[in-house]
Amino acid sequence: MLVEINVNGEPKSADVPPETTLLKMLREDLGLTGAKLGCDVGDCGTCTVIVDGVSVNSCLMMAARANGSNVTTIEGLANANELHPLQEKFEEHGALQCGFCGPGMLISAKSLLDRNPEPTVFEVRDALAGNLCRCTGYTKIIEAVMDAGREMRSGQSGA
Amino acid sequence: MRALDYIVPESAAAAVALLNEHGETACPLAGGTDLVVDLKHSPGNVQVLVDVSGLEEFHGIEETERGLRIGSMVTYGEIMENPICIEKIPEVVAASHTVGAVQTRNLGTIGGNLVTCVPSADSAPALMVLDAEVTVTGTDGDRCMPIEDFFVGPRKTILEPHELLADIWIPKKMLGKPSSFSKFGLRKGQALALVNVAAALELDKGKILEPRIALGAVAPTPIRALKAEAFLAGKKPTAELIDEAAQIAVTETKPIDDFRASANYRRQLIRRLTQRVLTRSLEIAAER
Repeated sequence: MLVEINVNGEPKSADVPPETTLLKMLREDLGLTGAKLGCDVGDCGTCTVIVDGVSVNSCLMMAARANGSNVTTIEGLANANELHPLQEKFEEHGALQCGFCGPGMLISAKSLLDRNPEPTVFEVRDALAGNLCRCTGYTKIIEAVMDAGREMRSGQSGA
Repeated sequence: MRALDYIVPESAAAAVALLNEHGETACPLAGGTDLVVDLKHSPGNVQVLVDVSGLEEFHGIEETERGLRIGSMVTYGEIMENPICIEKIPEVVAASHTVGAVQTRNLGTIGGNLVTCVPSADSAPALMVLDAEVTVTGTDGDRCMPIEDFFVGPRKTILEPHELLADIWIPKKMLGKPSSFSKFGLRKGQALALVNVAAALELDKGKILEPRIALGAVAPTPIRALKAEAFLAGKKPTAELIDEAAQIAVTETKPIDDFRASANYRRQLIRRLTQRVLTRSLEIAAER
């Protein structure tokens, strides 16, 4: 079936079998391999993308259900010239080690800051509860999100 | 995932007709947080997905003369951000916040959670203490029932294969009722409840009026602790009375031993959590 979505501001479409998940369509039909296939049951969060303004597990969303939606993936964070402040802060804080959880962590963090530009540490932890990291632990990730929030509020980055 | 047909009906009536036509080979798709996992790992004989998640009839949160209506396809994320829910049914909002994580709450619907009908469904106790009713729609039209009657057993509801859960109603007199919800899981995030409990009550001249206690993950379906409620009704609240009521509630449950916790541990949780939600509800009632 034909599924048309707007991904990172660009209209895209693919003819996929009806049982295709949004994650599979993004990775295999649209070549956007930033969102990762982890647990494939909605526990690990590395497949997280934003659909019409809210973060979802793309492994649990059927592609057909996303038809007509606006989707933001990790590929939509940076532009050609600069990284998103969240990405800069993750780098600065060493918040990623193997990096496999990174796309989901960054999308969940972006989704939080889009809704709540000045979160508490508790709110950051709550927002990232659906994203598992098995390397660094969560402290540096949380610090990076708090720091990115501060930077975005101060407007220094121009993001 | 094996090959499936995927149909997006234009109305609830069209969805019911499709389910009726395809029988048990068809399955309605809501948020998909349970169903899509099942389709990957134990698909049964499902061949046709009927995507009801976008049906307008099943959306919306409204306050009317009857009470508060929540469409079955409203997500937990929507409930948590809805000003009417935050004001009128805060413990349903609190229970919603304990479901899964942000991403699953943004996909998962309150109706899907009730239809999946696991004993630990977090929204169930919070809705049951508010005397929630559900509307079911099928080939013979709509029928309405107390939410307790909707649950039949683990993963089994009263729904016929051609029927869909349309909406959930909280009666007007229960809106803003002093209430409390508590859940204990093995982690703070993304955890199934070992036990979840809700209470609602009022104080009338210092005596407990119309107490409600509901518990999840302690029996084949979420249950009301009717004996404990009857014990409390009309009495003056004391710490001893609350503990006695909590102990009565324990006798009304049948918790299981499994890899998450022993039945004995669950019984202790039931007593403590029931004490906690009753005490908190009384505090809220006393502040009024």
